[in-house]
Amino acid sequence: MENISSLIPFLIPIVLLQLGLMVFALVDLIHRERTKGPKWVWAFVVIFVNLIGPIVYLVVGREE
Amino acid sequence: MNFLAALRKEWLEQWRTYRLLMLGVVLVVFGLLSPLFAKYTPEIIKLIPNGEAIAQLIPTPTVMDAVTQYIKNIGQFGVILALLLTMGVVAQEKDKGTAAMMLVKPLPRVTFLVAKFTALALMFAVTIAIAGAACYYYTWLLFGALDVPRWLALNGLMLLFVLVYVALTLFCSVVTKSQAAAGGLALCLLFILGLIGSIPGLGEYLPGQLIAWGGGLMAGKAEAFWPALWVSVGMIVVALMGASLIFERQEL
Repeated sequence: MENISSLIPFLIPIVLLQLGLMVFALVDLIHRERTKGPKWVWAFVVIFVNLIGPIVYLVVGREE
Repeated sequence: MNFLAALRKEWLEQWRTYRLLMLGVVLVVFGLLSPLFAKYTPEIIKLIPNGEAIAQLIPTPTVMDAVTQYIKNIGQFGVILALLLTMGVVAQEKDKGTAAMMLVKPLPRVTFLVAKFTALALMFAVTIAIAGAACYYYTWLLFGALDVPRWLALNGLMLLFVLVYVALTLFCSVVTKSQAAAGGLALCLLFILGLIGSIPGLGEYLPGQLIAWGGGLMAGKAEAFWPALWVSVGMIVVALMGASLIFERQEL
């Protein structure tokens, strides 16, 4: 692999995507009264599982 | 209740149900992957056994490879998502009875449908714009800058192409009683349109030509296909008008 610094421009959109999804999922998680499974687990998943975490929460974690 | 209020309601619903977010994420991911894939396909092929020999046969990737990938991905997934996101919009509301609730208020049914279509059109416009920007950025990093006005034209043409399918699926959603039936019917229309498009000489008057037009623009060709554009706009208008006329006569 080449220099790490040459990869940084490529990572910017991915980081933005991750941050956007994370904020979105967290806001939803805070406002939602009930979720499938404990809330704090979802908070962990959303924050620490990159990209897939927030998507998984939004798809299966929400409960009306 | 007027058009703007109905549009606002539809837009909020797309936002709350995360349809907007999901569409955006899918299209942006394809926007980012297309140039990456174009650039690194030879490298990937080298990894498979005996891949070296095959990789040597592949010409060095160019900007056009990235553009072609993008057009193919967004074109295909755009249509599929247009079908999936549109098929339920009227059928489901009829099924659940919420359409009747909405229309008890003095809201003309034409307005109801046009507001739905406009909300969907806005959703696709916003998401394709972001995907286009994402693809432009990666292409610029990997290959070099693309011509901006032509890039905008290409994305505009792709948006119109996708909107034809949104309008057709909306029509199907009005005609049928359930979401699944609407999706099936729309899929049939899609195949019929594809079949007609394969008849020599006819294809260039159909929406599919918009994609070819955009690709040609990026390749530096100046050839324009205005008839295809007018046919596409015409199809959208006819689909919406037909849907309104049928919807007026339906019992909710």
